[in-house]
Amino acid sequence: MEQLMELLEGIRPDIDFANEKSLVTDRLLESFDIINLVSEIDDEFDVKIKPADLVPENFDSVEAMWALIQRLQDEEF
Amino acid sequence: MITSILSYLDRAVALYSDRTIYTDGNDEISFARLRAAAASVGTAIAEAEKAEHPVAVLTGRHVYTPACYLGIAMAGCFYAPMDPGVPDSRLRQILDVAKPETLIADMEHADKARELGYSGTLIIMEEALKTAADEDLLKERRAAITETTPLYILFTSGSTGKPKGVLTSHQAVICYLDGLQEVIGLDETDILGNQAPLDYIAAIRDMYLPLMTGAKTVMLHPNEFAMPKNLIGSLHDSGVTTLCWSATGLEIPARLGVFDDAEDMPALPPLRRVVFSGSVISNPLLRKWQNAFPDTVFINQYGPTEATGSCTYYVIDHTVQDDEIIPIGKPYRHYLIDLITEDGKYAEAGETGEICVRGPALALGYYDAPEQTAKNFVISPVHSHWKEPMYRTGDLGKTGENGELYFLGRKDRQFKHLGHRIEPEEIEQKASLLDGVEECVCTYNAARKAICLFYKGTATPKEISLFLRAELPSFMAPRKLTAMDELPRLPNGKLDRKKLEEMTQGK
Repeated sequence: MEQLMELLEGIRPDIDFANEKSLVTDRLLESFDIINLVSEIDDEFDVKIKPADLVPENFDSVEAMWALIQRLQDEEF
Repeated sequence: MITSILSYLDRAVALYSDRTIYTDGNDEISFARLRAAAASVGTAIAEAEKAEHPVAVLTGRHVYTPACYLGIAMAGCFYAPMDPGVPDSRLRQILDVAKPETLIADMEHADKARELGYSGTLIIMEEALKTAADEDLLKERRAAITETTPLYILFTSGSTGKPKGVLTSHQAVICYLDGLQEVIGLDETDILGNQAPLDYIAAIRDMYLPLMTGAKTVMLHPNEFAMPKNLIGSLHDSGVTTLCWSATGLEIPARLGVFDDAEDMPALPPLRRVVFSGSVISNPLLRKWQNAFPDTVFINQYGPTEATGSCTYYVIDHTVQDDEIIPIGKPYRHYLIDLITEDGKYAEAGETGEICVRGPALALGYYDAPEQTAKNFVISPVHSHWKEPMYRTGDLGKTGENGELYFLGRKDRQFKHLGHRIEPEEIEQKASLLDGVEECVCTYNAARKAICLFYKGTATPKEISLFLRAELPSFMAPRKLTAMDELPRLPNGKLDRKKLEEMTQGK
């Protein structure tokens, strides 16, 4: 999860990812951030985020994103 | 004769009365109710402010924001919209340029107006909406509105570090919409899906085309652009037939793969036409839209805010290939385009020239900035026998063998990012205000859509990023910050821009 945290801070250093729990719902993360995030997560964690995964519940917090990454990694095997 | 956008409002109320004109996810408003709301706001404004004066608008994304704009117009004033989402320092700059003595804010943002240091008359939208309309007062104001009365000031990035206020008349807006309508032919069965923030030039289509045509506009939730299935789902559920979006707005869902999986394709909206503008679209991403919507007409538009919306268009009549360049096409009705070479002559076919615009759809100029206005709104060197203003876009273009216009880039360093026009000097100037930034240069990687900042100084990238995000709209914040011991220079001491450009493009 540290790796994810680092990646997030690289994209938006102004957001307190440890404490924000409605990143998408409260529009802290904008659409263009999501594009960057999706491509970086895909590369970094060797997963493929699909359009169906792009729902606020999967991106509202670091924990939710981490859970999504783990789920996608499990599906790979 | 139609002299103002208000003539269209009156006609629309007579024709469409109780039909819905706007919805925003929480609320909806009919044509008749919009007219009534605008009359109430207009009365409150007219009681507070003289005609032909700016009125700032600090409201959220809801159906009453256009009612405020139209109310201000009814009072014979012009609106200066302020997006509450942009940083305070930017909003203060807007106040500083427009110097409004009257500001209307919705309840949610009224405190913000005061926090910004605004000290003039503050009208609360919700209270203004309860004002009994004084039709005599409005009639009096209306009598003094002509085609050239200003309707709005919209702000764009300025290379001096201050946003420029583009002042635009009723006539210019009517001419643009008339030219666009002639091409896209909306009617009262059409539904527009509004993407653009309401303070942005692109929103004039979504707000005012319904007044001309009886169409309805659905204000989409900005979150949905990050969540493409939800976005396509809402377009479908709302029955959206027409998109007038930024090229980036189209690219985002396509890039996120929403049309990629035939097995998992969302239900698609009944799109009749998709009009896009703001930057050069990615052909592969446009093709994904074309493949998903084979019966939909796709139209590329080109034009700066100073020419009110867009001045040229090209109807794409085939599925685009990766290597082709989509023309910007031909001028809309009411626009004249001249391509003028550096030595002040008309460019020959195939020759590069600056794209210059004439006609009744030009902006009136930059508000309270006579020097900038004189620099960009000039008398044509070729067409100089009488005094007709011509706007120099700073864009380069040529006419192709097919007679269509092509866009070839900029004369200066300006670039387009996410549909916004950005002067890199504005970002550099802001960054250099931070202690620990001695020198900096802003560049742009168009392929990765990344604003880059190279700098010399002790500040960390994070410090600079935090600082700039507090000072500039988020779309202007650099994504890639590179600290350097020295910025690259040519032997004569000038910045080596070519080297910086290579570093930007990752060569």
